[in-house]
Amino acid sequence: MALTLMKGSEAIAEAAIRAGARFFFGYPITPQTEIPEYMSARMPEVGGCFLQAESEVAAINMVYGAASTGARVITSSSSPGVSLKQEGISYCAGAQLPCVILNVMRGGPGLGSIQASQGDYSQATKGGGNGDYHLLTYAPASIQEAIDIFSFAFDKAEQYRVPVLFLADGIMAQMMEPVEMPEMVEYKVDPEKKPWACTGFKPGDDPKKRAVINSLYINTEELTVHNNELQAIYREIEKNEVMFETYKTEDADIVITAFGTVARIAKSAINDLRAQGLKVGLFRPITVWPFPYAQLLDAAKGAKAILDVEANEGQMKLDVQLALGDKVPVHYFGHCGSQMPTTDEIKEAILKIKEGM
Amino acid sequence: MKKMYVLIGNYGSGKTELALNFAFKAAERGERTELLDLDMVNTYFRLTERGQMTRMKEIRLVSPNYSCSGIETLSLPAEVASAFAMDWDTVVFDVGGDAVGSTALGRYHQDFMDMLEEGGELEVLNVVNTRRPLAGTVEKIMHLQEEMQIHSRLKITGMINNTNLATATSEAELRDGYEIIKEVSEKSGVPVLYTSGKKEFLDKFLAEGHDPKFIGTPIAIDTYMQRDWDSWIKGL
Repeated sequence: MALTLMKGSEAIAEAAIRAGARFFFGYPITPQTEIPEYMSARMPEVGGCFLQAESEVAAINMVYGAASTGARVITSSSSPGVSLKQEGISYCAGAQLPCVILNVMRGGPGLGSIQASQGDYSQATKGGGNGDYHLLTYAPASIQEAIDIFSFAFDKAEQYRVPVLFLADGIMAQMMEPVEMPEMVEYKVDPEKKPWACTGFKPGDDPKKRAVINSLYINTEELTVHNNELQAIYREIEKNEVMFETYKTEDADIVITAFGTVARIAKSAINDLRAQGLKVGLFRPITVWPFPYAQLLDAAKGAKAILDVEANEGQMKLDVQLALGDKVPVHYFGHCGSQMPTTDEIKEAILKIKEGM
Repeated sequence: MKKMYVLIGNYGSGKTELALNFAFKAAERGERTELLDLDMVNTYFRLTERGQMTRMKEIRLVSPNYSCSGIETLSLPAEVASAFAMDWDTVVFDVGGDAVGSTALGRYHQDFMDMLEEGGELEVLNVVNTRRPLAGTVEKIMHLQEEMQIHSRLKITGMINNTNLATATSEAELRDGYEIIKEVSEKSGVPVLYTSGKKEFLDKFLAEGHDPKFIGTPIAIDTYMQRDWDSWIKGL
């Protein structure tokens, strides 16, 4: 199939539909409003449902409802809107409902700005809502990668019965790139394969097969059992689902850690620095939860210094330090709010570290 | 005599890049040039971000009020009138994408008509990139062309084959675009006035010996809208 030039928002929305998403509930917010706009036109074409909710809170609870029937459902928003959804996301995690949530990050805190940011890393990876839960969280760095991840995101959500979070920044949604779309998946809800799906219980049906969606466990022991089950699932995800990319780390003296769009800018800096004879590499987590701790430790084993680059105050730096302990000094460069680090700035930061080595 | 280029087209077809190229080439020829950022639709990746570059080439830039300020609701500035009132050699309008973007032109209908009456030249160019999903077929391009004419209250005088895949472009894009745009031209009667692309791909495409009638004037373009993250685009 020929490549097409697509905008991130359009491509992500189409990829979700091709992966079987037939329900979209959301509320517009820049910089991701093109996603609901696209869904509003496309969902009716594929027999799906687009519904603009009265608020983000309503939208995530509609996701809870649709996911309870076993359907593939998606919602998208940007940072302030995703903050509003946190209660519902915690409920989905508690009730073990597979769904996909997109956060196209913009500057914060509060209303912040409409430009790109990575300020929601901690919210995404350390739990934005109440209780002990995690979301399988992907941070794609290109539109094609987002499309590729979408082709299995629903499968993963259903396999583990967890919500999947896409952590993208505003640039990912707004930029255009050549992409190849996968074929449409003909997806049908099979209640046999989805025992949690509420598909209609009639008198005379086997009571054991009655699906109940719930996150309330009044009895202390029952809640402990429920939490232990969730924790066991999270350990499985940590074991099986870690994704990452290394770029020229084999001989690197300095390893840059970065995710999403910032990692791409770092790559340009690395190529320039390598041309000057500096051995610099990149470690990029693709899943930010589970974070690739062991893989980073391995990739950075020859490094003398780490530079963590982010479009936030250095929220991922804590995970980098958790991975490496005090074996290697971890520096940080970045901007809070919504200013992207530039290639030149990253090069300058590396040269400064090099001087002090 | 004043010559105006109005660039309209599908969102993402490359209007901004071409507008910069048209204006820079005019300025290099020593022409008094004005460039107008008339994109009232998109908040991101707009011409005004290259304002410094434009001013350094002694081109007058007109931008919507509040563009590049992080505010989404732009408004048309009064200075657009300078395109018609002042004595320019070349004026280039970079208009927002699709029919919704070309709506911004409607308000200047009488100004364009007066300009033509005074002997000025006007090219209303539909920039076509057939690698974009909404401009990938003859039917889609014809539909878009009609819609844009209604919304802009201007007749499209020609097409530009600017088929590209951003950083993954080769001469194959121009060739595929040529085939589709040729058919659009035959059906709609709108001529292909230009074919544009980076020099290396344009030269290869031209060497293939296609019908010049559906190529028009070739324009070798430079890219000015590149970003820090553009060098890396692959998937998993």
